[in-house]
Parts: sequence; structure tokens; C-alpha cells
Amino acid sequence: MAKMWINMGPQHPMTHGLWNLRIEVDGETVTNSEPVIGYLHRGWEKMVEDRTYPQIIPMADRLCYGSSYTWSHVYCLAVEDLMELEVPERAKYIRVIADELQRIASHLMWLAAIGPDLGNLTIFLYAMRERELFMDLFQSLCGARMTYNYTRIGGVRNDTTPEWERDLVRTLDFFEKRMVEYEDLVDRNVVFRMRMEGLAPLSAADAINLGVTGPSLRGSGVDFDVRQDDPYEVYENLDWHPCVQPDCDVYARYRVRMDEMRMSVQIIRDALKKMPKGPVRVKPPRYAPEGTGMARMEDPRGESLMYVIGDGTEKPFRLKVRSPFFVTLSAAPVMVNGCKVADVPSIMGMIDVCMGETDR
Amino acid sequence: MTSIDLWGGMDALTNWLMDDVLGALFNWLGLHGLADFLMSDTLGTVIMLLLIGIFVFIVGFLVDITMIWQERKMLGRLMDRRGTMVGPLGYFQNIADGLKTFLKETIIPENADEGVFNLVPVLYIGTSVLLLGTLPLSTQWYMSNSELGVLLTFAIFCIAPFVILLGGWASNNKYTLIGGMRAAAQIISYEIPLFLAVVSVIILTGSMNYGDIVAWQQANVWLGIPLIIGFIVFFIGIIAEAERVPFDLPEAEAELVEGWGTEYGGFRFGLMMLTDYFRGYAGCAVVVLLFLGGWDGPGFIPEEIWFLLKAFIVFAVMIWVRGALPRVRTDQILSIGWKRLLPLAAINVFIAIALKALGVF
Amino acid sequence: MAEAIRSNKQRSKELGLTGFILKPLALTLKQTLKSTVHKPTTVLYPWEKLVLPDVYRGRPGLRFDKCIGCGVCMRICPNRCIDMMEVDDLPKEGVETPKKVKRPRVNVGRCMMCGYCAEYCPTDAMIVTPEYELASFTRGALIYDPYQLQYDGVPGNEVHILEVLPAELHTGAAPRPALENKDLPSLEDSKCIGCTKCAKACPVDAVEMKEMGVNEKGRPIKRPVFDNDKCVSCENCVEVCPKSALCMKEVQ
Repeated sequence: MAKMWINMGPQHPMTHGLWNLRIEVDGETVTNSEPVIGYLHRGWEKMVEDRTYPQIIPMADRLCYGSSYTWSHVYCLAVEDLMELEVPERAKYIRVIADELQRIASHLMWLAAIGPDLGNLTIFLYAMRERELFMDLFQSLCGARMTYNYTRIGGVRNDTTPEWERDLVRTLDFFEKRMVEYEDLVDRNVVFRMRMEGLAPLSAADAINLGVTGPSLRGSGVDFDVRQDDPYEVYENLDWHPCVQPDCDVYARYRVRMDEMRMSVQIIRDALKKMPKGPVRVKPPRYAPEGTGMARMEDPRGESLMYVIGDGTEKPFRLKVRSPFFVTLSAAPVMVNGCKVADVPSIMGMIDVCMGETDR
Repeated sequence: MTSIDLWGGMDALTNWLMDDVLGALFNWLGLHGLADFLMSDTLGTVIMLLLIGIFVFIVGFLVDITMIWQERKMLGRLMDRRGTMVGPLGYFQNIADGLKTFLKETIIPENADEGVFNLVPVLYIGTSVLLLGTLPLSTQWYMSNSELGVLLTFAIFCIAPFVILLGGWASNNKYTLIGGMRAAAQIISYEIPLFLAVVSVIILTGSMNYGDIVAWQQANVWLGIPLIIGFIVFFIGIIAEAERVPFDLPEAEAELVEGWGTEYGGFRFGLMMLTDYFRGYAGCAVVVLLFLGGWDGPGFIPEEIWFLLKAFIVFAVMIWVRGALPRVRTDQILSIGWKRLLPLAAINVFIAIALKALGVF
Repeated sequence: MAEAIRSNKQRSKELGLTGFILKPLALTLKQTLKSTVHKPTTVLYPWEKLVLPDVYRGRPGLRFDKCIGCGVCMRICPNRCIDMMEVDDLPKEGVETPKKVKRPRVNVGRCMMCGYCAEYCPTDAMIVTPEYELASFTRGALIYDPYQLQYDGVPGNEVHILEVLPAELHTGAAPRPALENKDLPSLEDSKCIGCTKCAKACPVDAVEMKEMGVNEKGRPIKRPVFDNDKCVSCENCVEVCPKSALCMKEVQ
């Protein structure tokens, strides 16, 4: 059979979102591939130039449906850097807790998505069931289930309540039991492991050269985590370490994310213990000064970065977003070439696609 | 042992219909020649065979619909959701879905090979429904009681992959082409262990007739117990034969959209879904007949009910496996078939030969 | 750190081929029995609904009598789905013809439920409501006029800003409502032409035009004087000023 090009996307079960992976197949083997993106471009960076600084927060939420909180968080960090605003200590802890809750929720959605990618719907429903708990937590914290609009320039929207903290601790206890179930279903399943082990090797050198960040990089054995190497908020005070796996394959990326969920639970517990009392919100200045602000943070998908230029008015002059998946996608040909057609969904699912932030 | 006498019943029904109703009617009208023709034995036999075919199909169809319902409901519970909701316990969802697919437009792709494209659903559905005719439900409820019954079933079973290859090719779509090729690659990997497992049964029972095989099991022991390895190999093979998860490579929806059936829409899609469950039912029935004692069971329940009950339980295990496992890859199913199942099946044949030679059975 | 890095191969060796697939099979069987005996976790949506907390942000709601028509919600709305429309005031005893007032009208079809209108409202007239079933057959029906927008609400529906000023962050000051450290309009005297537009635009009558002597033609010079207690920091005066004589002075 001659080689032929297949469009996997833009409307295809493999693509979580709207993008296209063109693959050249020789029988069942992929010999060449080319990602095509841009189907979801909405001109976000231009759009926000016409909004005032607080108005951009709910729009930053909408960058990624999977982890909306982290995006408004990194935006607020960047603007606080521009305005040289100090955030109350309690707000920092609440932000870290919300950040880690969002990380768990986002990883659960990734876990849900790899199930159908590999042909099993059960793990999808189990993971979505537990994600609902975290949605409920966010809902009772700030009133929304998906686009929270919770963080503010100079703090967070509202303080937590003691009932909420009690619910949080209970949920975490319950969730840790469920984590064992996922591992029973996936790690102790020889078919899942057959599909994942040794698949799509991405060496540490390749990963660094291609700018891959986040769990995909740590799955290649590189101990890099923005939370550790460029700490923001209060991560340096907390008891945690980055989760690294040295094996460079799909299973390593899977393990990194599973370990990260456990680590997030540990971080939240520690943060709850160390959280001081006090105000949670500082009144931000109405007009940002002239200058630039930059913030990077560890998104569930990798390193996200925002760079904002202020021109003395109440609207930003320019806002640049560095999307983690946009960069990770450049590693797709390296990983996909040489594997089977059936492996393409599992490889791409394992780097956790989110097109909202990629196309912006 | 009670069982329903299908042939006797149909004979009586035909006689009553032809002689007492139609024959008497035409005699009364004075059309004696027509009445004689209607009451002739030849026509009676043809009508009786038709009636038997219709009855067997209706029972198979009802079992099939119930199996779809069983799968949807049980898979729902397995995944902590509700499953179908229309009608009592969601049973009427299938009927609603059938109605919906019936109202859809039939679409033929522009550059498809129209003749083959239209022929493939006919062949796929036809050969799969034909399977029902080869499977007896009890000592008296059967359509064919061939001496080569097992061979006949598998001969008909094996047509479908080639039809799938044809359909995937004719659709003029890259996904369907890959799906069709996968069906062809898959068949050579699981058919041989499957047949070796059947061979062990034939060695022990000394017959290819389902009736004899079940009678042997009633006299001795259910073959799933001494031939446990063969039973497992056969069960895995039959899951692949029925194209169910984890071996549903030809229609791997994650990477190939809907696999070989991507271009088939509307009522053809509905009928093909139905046909997949006919094949699932046939697979379960063969498992029950060869390894689980067929209609063997305490006599207070009719044999047909025993048989169907066992088939439903086997199908529940298939659903359970589907809920717990992901799909394997093309090269992995080849390696499973050749490296794991084939040696196991060979060992199983040796066990069967040893049991026979040592005179245990 | 070192023990955190555990190789997959190591892990595979530990797990071995324990039962191949028996563990997931046992797990799913357990779940099947559990959800057969008890109900599955699914919520049958149109018949059953999730319990919503009071803080849930559905469509915005309006307490008509509390609203002062200042337009803060219109200005903060990121989607610009709020505009101010003139409507009749609520009927009151002894008033024959109700006077015209400005109230917000919300295009719910564009609303993204961010809750900013409720958060920034100086009088808690805009609130968040737990109503989320907003589908309609036409787009026109999604534009909620102030009377449709009315919602009584419970105390939890109000959103308050409790904040401190950056300067007093380390002084241990208790957080205060935003209205207590509001920005105030300030006048650049040389630009003012005394047109009284700011006084007319003020929704709370915090601007009073006072005569500051007479000019060379003998006409009175009028200058706005702001009542800082009444002011809600709505910027209406800044917006209408034809000579840009007003600007918001920030509190530090």
C-alpha cells in the first residue's frame, strides 16, 4: 500500500478541541506528521487591549476550559508585577489552594479523556465523577463551576469560610481513596500498560530543545517545575517536591500526572495548615504605571507566561500569552513519527490538549 | 427434561393453516384443484420451513434487542451512570433508536463503488442472521441439525471480516480502508487458536453435531471444566470474532472515527449495530453450546430458557470485560493471537488428546 | 527527592503481572453491584437538580428600589452587555405619573455570568441569582429589561468587596467595604466652565454647583463641590465633563 496522508481532525474523536494532526501513514505506521492549528483563534490578545485591567480577569478564565483558574491567576500575577502591588499573605495561600484544586480538576479531566482515547469509557466516567466534587468546591467558594473569576488584582474575590475548609479536607480524604481506584483500573491493568509502556519516547534533550514544559518534560526525567525553580506565591514555604519520572515514555507522563494529583493534595493540606488570618484583597490602583510586568507559573499543562505592557492608562497596551500546549505541540511530530495509527490518540491525549489557550 | 417441540408445533400449525383453514375454504368455494395444491405435502413442507425460519428469527431478534438493552443498562451501572431511560427500565430505547435511524437519509459517498457499497450491508447482515439458523436452542428447537453443525457455524462466522474489508475498500475513505485492513489482519490472528479450541472439543466428544456435543456434556461433565484453558482461549477468540472491546479494532472509534462503517449512515448504520449484537449472541451461544453444557440444567425449567439464560450470563461477562479493559493495538492483537493464545490452544489440544487416550472420558 | 524518582520499570516490576486484568475486573464488578443496589451518581437533570449555594452566579438580578442608576455595572461589564435605559419608576402611593429613572438592561445572551455588576454595585442593587435556565426562542427575549431583571434575592446573593489599601497592608487593618476607600473625583479649576453637567449627571446628588464670585462680565462663576460622603465613585461626572476638567483621584 502506498503512503497516504490522513487528516486527524479538525472534527475527529482524537482531537480534544479543534485542531488537525495530518499524519502520513505507511500501512498502520505513521511516517510523517504535521500539526495544523488556528481553528480556534479568537484574537484574544488583541481583544483584551480594549478592556480595563479588572475586565480581563474573566476573559483570562476563558483561555482554557480545563484549567481556567490558573490563567486568571497568571494574569493577575503579571499585572501585580506591573503595578508593583503586594498581595496579602492569606490571599497567597488561598490562591495556592485554588491553584492546586484546579490542577487536580484539570488532571482529572485529562484522565477522563485518555480513557476514550485508549478505548475504555469507564475511567472517563469515574474521573468525571470525582471532578464534580472539585467543581462543587469551587462553586461554593466563588459561585461558578467552570469559569471561576475568583482571583483579583491584589488578592482574591472573597475569603474562604470554615465550612468550606471542612468540606475541602473531607473531599481530599475521599479523593485519596478514589485515587487508588484509578490506579487499580489503569496501572494494574495489563492492557492499559501494554498500550502505554515504551511508547513515544521523548528524550530529555529533545524535550528541552523543543521547549516542552510541564508533566511531559518531567516525564522525560528533567527536574524542572516553575513552582520550584522560580517560586511564586508561597510555594517555597510549603512541603512538596516536583514529581519526576525518568522513563521518557507515555506511561511516565501518565505517572507524573497521577503523582502530581497526590502531590497537590499534600500541598493543599500543608497550605491549609499554614494559612494565616487576615485580609484577602488589596485595592489595586486604577491606572497601571508605564512599564512591563511578567509572570510565569506552572499550569497543569506546562509553563504558562504572561507579559503585559502598561502605558499609564487603565487598559493594557499589549498582553502576550505563552501557552504551554502551543509549545508542547511542536514535539508532536517527534513523538508520533514511527508509532502506529492507534497510538496517535494516546500520545496526543497524554500531553493533554487544550486548544483554547493554544489558538487564543 | 422439558423442551418446546419446534418442528412438531410448526407441522401442526402448517397443517391447521393449510388443511383446516385455507383448504377447507377453497373446497367450500368449489376450487378443488387449488385446495388440493394447498393441501399437498410439498407446499406444506415449504410453508413449514418458512414458518420455522420466521420463528427462529423472531426469537433471535428479541434476544438480540434484549442483549442491546442488557449491554446499555449494565454498562451504565458499571460506569456509575443510569444507562437507557426510555420505557420500563429503559427497554424501549432500542425501539426509539431504530425509529430514529429509520428516518435518516441514506447517503452514498460520491466516489464510492456504489454496487459493492450497497452489497456489503446485505452480506454483513445476511450472513450474521444466517448464524441463527445453525444454532439449536434445545433438543427440539433447531433449524438445522447438521452433522457438521460446528463447522457450519464457523464457516458463516468467518465471512464477515471479508465483507468488512470489501466495505471499507468500497467506501472510498481512508479511515474505512484502514478499518477494513485491520479486520483482515485480525482474523488470521485469532481464528487459529479459536479453531484449535474447537478441535479439542471435537476430539473429546467425537462429533461436530451440537446435539451430540451437548448430550456428551450432559452424560459426562461440562467441557469448560476439563478444558478450562481452551475455554478461556475460545472466549477471548469469540470476543474478537464478535468484534467487541477489547478487540474492536476495525471500528476503533478513537482513531478511525467509526472504522470500516464510517460512511454507512442512517438505517444501514442501525441495522449494522443490530447485527453486531446478532454476532455477539451467536458467539455467546457457541460458548454455551461447546463449553457450558448447552441446555443442560435442572428440568423444572424448559431447556430453551436454560440455554438463553446461560447465553445472557456469558454476554454479561463480555460486557464486564468491555467495561474494564481498553482496546488493544493491531500489532498487539497479532502478538496475543500468535504468541499467547496459539501455544495455550495447542496445550489444550494435548490435554484433550491425553484425556481421550487415558480413557478418562 | 531521590526516592521520589521511581522508574516505571521498577514500578512495573513491583506490580508485575498481578492477575493481568483481575484487579480492574474486580473493581468494576464492585462498582456495578454498588450502583445497582444504590442509585448511580447521575442526576436526572430536568427532574432532579443540584443544590446550588447562595453565592451561585446565575443571571444578574436587580433590586429595583435600591438601584440609583449610576451605571457602574454598565462600565465594569467585560462583555458590554449592560446598558442604561429610561423606565418608569415603581408605582408609589400618591404619585400619579411615575417619574422616569435610569435602570440597567441586560442582554443575558451575551452575559458571561462573571458577577462583576453585583460585585461593583455601590448599593447592592445588582445581585447574583441562582437562575441558570435562560434558554429562549428568540434573541430578543434574552434582552432583560429592568422589570424582567427584578429579583428579590437572599442575603447570600449580594457580593461585597472587602479590601484594604496597599499602604495599610502591614498595619493589621481590618478589611473594609470598597465604598469606604473609594476614589473621588477632583476638579482642575482652570478648565472648568461651570456648565453644571456634572451636577445633573450625578445619580446621588453629591455634586452641588456653588457660586464662587463673579467673572469680569458680571456673571456668576459656578464650580462643582463634591459631597464625599454621598459619592459612590461612579465616574458619571468625569464622563460627561465637556472640558475634561474632572478626573478620578486615587486613594492610596
